[in-house]
Amino acid sequence: MRKLTAALAAAALAAVATACGTGNGGGGTGALTVWLMDGSAPQEWLDELNAAFEEEHGVRVDVEIQQWDGIQDRVTTALSEDGTVDVLEIGNTQTVGYAGTGGLAGLSGLEDEPWNEPMLASARLDGTLYAVPWYGANRVVVYDRAIWREAGAEVPATRKEWLRALETIEENTDAEPLYLPGRSYYVMGGFVADEGGGFAVEEDGRWKGALNTPEGEAGMAFYARLHSFSDAPADNDEASPQQSTEIVPNRPVASWIGLGWEAAAAIEAIGERGQEADFGYFPVPGPTADRPGHVFLGGSNLAVSERAGDRELAEAWVRTATSARWHQRFVDAYDGGVVPARTDVTARPAEGSFAEAMVASADAGYLPPLTGGWSYVETEPNPVKDLMTRVLNGADYRTAAAEADTEITARINRD
Amino acid sequence: MTAQTGQRPSPASAPARERLRRGSSLPYLLIAPAVLALAAVLGYALVRNVAISFQEFGRRELISRTTRWAGPDNYLRVLEDQRFWSATARTFAFMAVNVVLIMVLGTLIGLLLGRVRKAVRLVLSLALVAAWAMPVVATVTVFRWLFDTQFGVANWAMRTVGLSGYDQHNWFGSGLSTLTVVTVLVVWASVPFVALNLYAALTTVGPEIYEAARVDGASAVRIFVSVVGPMMKPFFLITTFLEVIWVFKAFVQVYAMNGGGPNRESETLPVMAYIEGMGQNQYGTAAAISVLTLLILLVAMSFWFRLILRQEKEGQP
Repeated sequence: MRKLTAALAAAALAAVATACGTGNGGGGTGALTVWLMDGSAPQEWLDELNAAFEEEHGVRVDVEIQQWDGIQDRVTTALSEDGTVDVLEIGNTQTVGYAGTGGLAGLSGLEDEPWNEPMLASARLDGTLYAVPWYGANRVVVYDRAIWREAGAEVPATRKEWLRALETIEENTDAEPLYLPGRSYYVMGGFVADEGGGFAVEEDGRWKGALNTPEGEAGMAFYARLHSFSDAPADNDEASPQQSTEIVPNRPVASWIGLGWEAAAAIEAIGERGQEADFGYFPVPGPTADRPGHVFLGGSNLAVSERAGDRELAEAWVRTATSARWHQRFVDAYDGGVVPARTDVTARPAEGSFAEAMVASADAGYLPPLTGGWSYVETEPNPVKDLMTRVLNGADYRTAAAEADTEITARINRD
Repeated sequence: MTAQTGQRPSPASAPARERLRRGSSLPYLLIAPAVLALAAVLGYALVRNVAISFQEFGRRELISRTTRWAGPDNYLRVLEDQRFWSATARTFAFMAVNVVLIMVLGTLIGLLLGRVRKAVRLVLSLALVAAWAMPVVATVTVFRWLFDTQFGVANWAMRTVGLSGYDQHNWFGSGLSTLTVVTVLVVWASVPFVALNLYAALTTVGPEIYEAARVDGASAVRIFVSVVGPMMKPFFLITTFLEVIWVFKAFVQVYAMNGGGPNRESETLPVMAYIEGMGQNQYGTAAAISVLTLLILLVAMSFWFRLILRQEKEGQP
């Protein structure tokens, strides 16, 4: 009988332990919990900022670094719970979606800062500010200078020159002219934007997929043309395998399209093999020389949870982190490799750096549809990526695009 | 203790059984922790799941903690969805192929276990136990590498035996191909259960029965069909029943292999429920899919239930 009681007690204990969950840090405990994404904040900048903030406000700041993989589930859960998170970094394509759920606090007190206007669009819903821009980033073409020299290829300014350079490399070297996985859909979206199209259009307050259009077809056709220079399979994206660390350091790749942190990771990985990366950078070329090609304006916003323990304190942290002084230090820590969120902060990229190419193409940026449902389209299985794989495998574009549009329309109107 | 002092009470001894059946509450107390744990873990989840299936439950409702009842809307939407019906057909076809392969191969290997030398039996049993004990996600990872496009052993083996077209063959290029790889995995991992259990059950069959059959001139096939088969009927019924359930609800093997892709062509019902629920935050729709899955399985299995119940009745004197 005693054993039975013990077993019952143990079962009850287990149930209670499960119910308690993982509530740590955050609201009410006197500490501020900040969720930042992996690789977003330079450590030194973060430490100094938090030390200054702790001194001024007398509270501890707990920074928890989150991985991008599966982040939507975690943010959704965190916003539904009390005391999990106070301040959080949210990708700019996902902010509007969370704002629509009522999970983010309005930040009217931060309205009047000199924000970068295009970036602000991803943080606002129905006239209310639910987040503030933190930084922007976009992709450029990273190329191996030695291989390009060996091939005698010139840095291109137009698509035509780009294709010619890739052909030259293919003829004169053994290197892969361009590593381009079949499912890099933000790159493809840039080519659609070059044609004047987009992933979806809004009509009478309802969104619908817009890939089954001449613009979509032309954008995808150019993507397929580029993909023919790559040995990458049609069913990979740039993250699996991770192009910067698993592909570029392991085989001769003459060029690839990547973000600043990817270029840095590739340089490090090549360095670990005892070699030295010799990278040059240029903006993704556009159809004409007067304007670079469209690139996805990636970036992150900072938001405050509606359920934050002390909302004013959380807002104060956001204000400090994005103040002109601290933001300038943030941008400088990246050597100008990010697009600043404020107009009174300037990036000063070094000549020949990734940042220089990035800033040169930032004006030709595009954003995906800024609506809550877009985050559902982005989630795997992603219909745009599936369309790309099918077309690269020889499917008829119109048929596949019509199916993708149906799926996009179904998802993008969800709230 | 019992009336028969000095003797070990056999489970079948009538007075002991009588005592347990009446009066004593010990059996109920003994079973209580299991029942409570099941009710807490499964029962609660099941009730919540059914409740959610009648709600408009998305990301907004989760975060703002509101409840919006939707009546049968979720069910209607799912039943109108062509994808649900193709997933249902796919799940049944997948299940049927797997269960047949598992039962046939498992039976053959189980019979083999009874015929080989002791050392061989030990090696074979260990191999079976190892396959059975391997964690599912680890298995899937290994299989993904085996069937990798560039470095896979499968492509190498196909080339080595002289088949063309396996230079860079993509095993995950279509839904059928993906599910075939999953089938190999599921069968490989489930055969040990059938084989070892059949072997265990066969050890209860005395050698004199085989001998008598052989004296009568029966072949090996005839012995299995007319003698061993009928004796093992309850075993086959129960095992098939369990395998049907296991394969029907197989989620990790399918999802981890290729995420239901390409282009959602390997999506079975559990995978569809997961993608709708966790991927799209359509918790209400996902709950409706899972309730429908459960109902479909119950209806499909009721026939089996009846068969097993009848078998039990026949088995009793």
